[in-house]
Amino acid sequence: MSTRSRLALPIVIVLGLCARLEAQGWPEQTATLFDGRVTLGGEATATVAPEDKGHFTYTDYERSSLQLVRLGVAAAIRPIDRLTFVVDLRAEGDTSGGDWSAIPVALYVRVRPWRDRRFDIQAGRIPPVFGVAGRHIYASDNVLIGTPLAWQYLTVLRADAVPANADELIYARSYGWQPGYSVGDDGYARGVPLATAFRYDTGVEARIGDDVSLVSVAVALTNGTLSAPGLRSSNGGPQVSTRVALHPSPAWVIGASYADGRFVADTVRDGLPASQSGGRYPQRTIGGDAEYSLGHVLIRAELVAARWTLPVLGPPPIDNPLWSTGVSVEGRYKIAPGVTAALRGDHLGFNSQTGTYLTLPWDAPVSRVEGGVSWAATRHVILRGSIQYNSRNRGPIRSATLPAAQVTLWF
Amino acid sequence: MRAAAGVLAGGLAMTAVSAGQPRGASVRGRVELPHVPVMVERRPASGELGEGPPRDAAEWRRAVVYFETAPKGAFEAEDVHAQMDQRNETFVPHLLAVTVGTTVDFPNDDRTYHNVFSLSKTKRFDLGRYAAGRSKSVRFDRPGVVRVFCEIHSHMNAFILVFTHRFFGVTDPDGRYQIDGVPPGTIDGEAGSRDWRTGALIGLRFSKTYMHDGRAKNIRDAILLHGGPGSEAAPCIELFKKYTPDNQDILVRYVEAL
Repeated sequence: MSTRSRLALPIVIVLGLCARLEAQGWPEQTATLFDGRVTLGGEATATVAPEDKGHFTYTDYERSSLQLVRLGVAAAIRPIDRLTFVVDLRAEGDTSGGDWSAIPVALYVRVRPWRDRRFDIQAGRIPPVFGVAGRHIYASDNVLIGTPLAWQYLTVLRADAVPANADELIYARSYGWQPGYSVGDDGYARGVPLATAFRYDTGVEARIGDDVSLVSVAVALTNGTLSAPGLRSSNGGPQVSTRVALHPSPAWVIGASYADGRFVADTVRDGLPASQSGGRYPQRTIGGDAEYSLGHVLIRAELVAARWTLPVLGPPPIDNPLWSTGVSVEGRYKIAPGVTAALRGDHLGFNSQTGTYLTLPWDAPVSRVEGGVSWAATRHVILRGSIQYNSRNRGPIRSATLPAAQVTLWF
Repeated sequence: MRAAAGVLAGGLAMTAVSAGQPRGASVRGRVELPHVPVMVERRPASGELGEGPPRDAAEWRRAVVYFETAPKGAFEAEDVHAQMDQRNETFVPHLLAVTVGTTVDFPNDDRTYHNVFSLSKTKRFDLGRYAAGRSKSVRFDRPGVVRVFCEIHSHMNAFILVFTHRFFGVTDPDGRYQIDGVPPGTIDGEAGSRDWRTGALIGLRFSKTYMHDGRAKNIRDAILLHGGPGSEAAPCIELFKKYTPDNQDILVRYVEAL
């Protein structure tokens, strides 16, 4: 199926729904069919921004998060009580041109085995249990247009290719959108973020408790890793991830997360020397998040610290593990009904590697400050404006000030 | 009685009875809703890790019956309070009718935060997030319809109707309403066709009764009942009567198809 054909279906669905709903007056409620057995929601978002020549905002879909055009339709189909099929189809394009892509972001079945117990099982292409930002990917969930660095910024690591030594790794610093290595796939391709907010993994997850429970625990077993999720396992083993969330009061949500899964792809491992091919080469990630809200204020902080182990092949050796830590703090304040301002500070750091001549962080540390305002013109039409300043201590472009504007239509 | 009546949330059949009383008349009747909406489901969110907490069904069968115009001097703004609760992710009541100047309290009786807001032209407000056991209030100084939502739970919604007079009634679960205290001096004649809001023909097939007081049981009867003395529709009704039964059936089927 061509890209154009793949795009046609979700576009037709969204336009058809919009036309139908507009004809009835824009719905104040979620669209439901078959006595509530089918529930539909959708979102159309277009973002414009100047070209990001420094690739600070590029995602693992090889386009800038500030130039996205996104059409999404989500449906919850509940044939019987306690059984729900959830599907989220999304088409993404780029206001600067280029190809479009269309995928089922989410496609899973949810089962609640006992009616009165807050215990749910989900299987299929499922949302990450790790952290927070990965489950709030839609514009209607956010005030700022950008995505936290840990969930978006492309590091120089790849699952399908690894550096032969520390020099090769250090040489790639700040080129996360197209690092190339001599082991594995020898072409240039995008690197991975610490965790991706743009794709879901495939597997099964279970949660005990919910958003109003004092404690909720979620555990998932998936094919990929946080940084490289996938439909099929390409790395010889599953990832285990978990999050424990505390809700001591409605004002607070405090969470701790952990994930451990094989990172390096089978295609790379198969080509390694015998002494190295048996390694597990995992990505282990820990996370912490906290949210406080009261009145018109919301403050959210999240930490994601990932640790990768790569094969040690030649001198100068890669000094495992490779650490990267992302920290973001965001504050929101509602200025007036429908008008919210937000500010986020973000930093992504890396531990040092020793090459032949230099000892440097294995990727260039990057910082971002983003401020913006959202205005709900109506309940279902939201306009946003933001400006972000990015800085990096290496690379041909070391800083970028990027204004952006976005319109979101949701139902 | 001279009155115009409107029904929020739809409703084509209404019975109105006025009775002179020393302190005013009462108007009472029953509203039948042709469609009862299903319970509003949560917006599908693929990022959820499971079902949301249990919630209550809103009282969707309620309607408000009101006079479009009120007798002069019938109302003086009072500093009164009304309440719209937040309980199990539902606004209770789902439909609230108040007079201008009323302060509505929004207590949170749930286990979680809510953020009540409205972007309606009649009243824009945002109460922010507050926890169970606390309450915030809004005073409504202009007449109109106010749509109320929760920013956190998109399936939560409610209506507040703000009137410049007190001649309105919210129906009970059976659709019955009563408007009391209509000043006697305002009863100056029979209710004529121009005093009643004529229901749209589109969707008429969903109605179980017809005419403002529900006395017509089918569309043919409703057409014939429009032909009384002085009716503007009388010539048309006479023409209808001259049709053959088959042609009358064709016309009725056409109306039912709308």
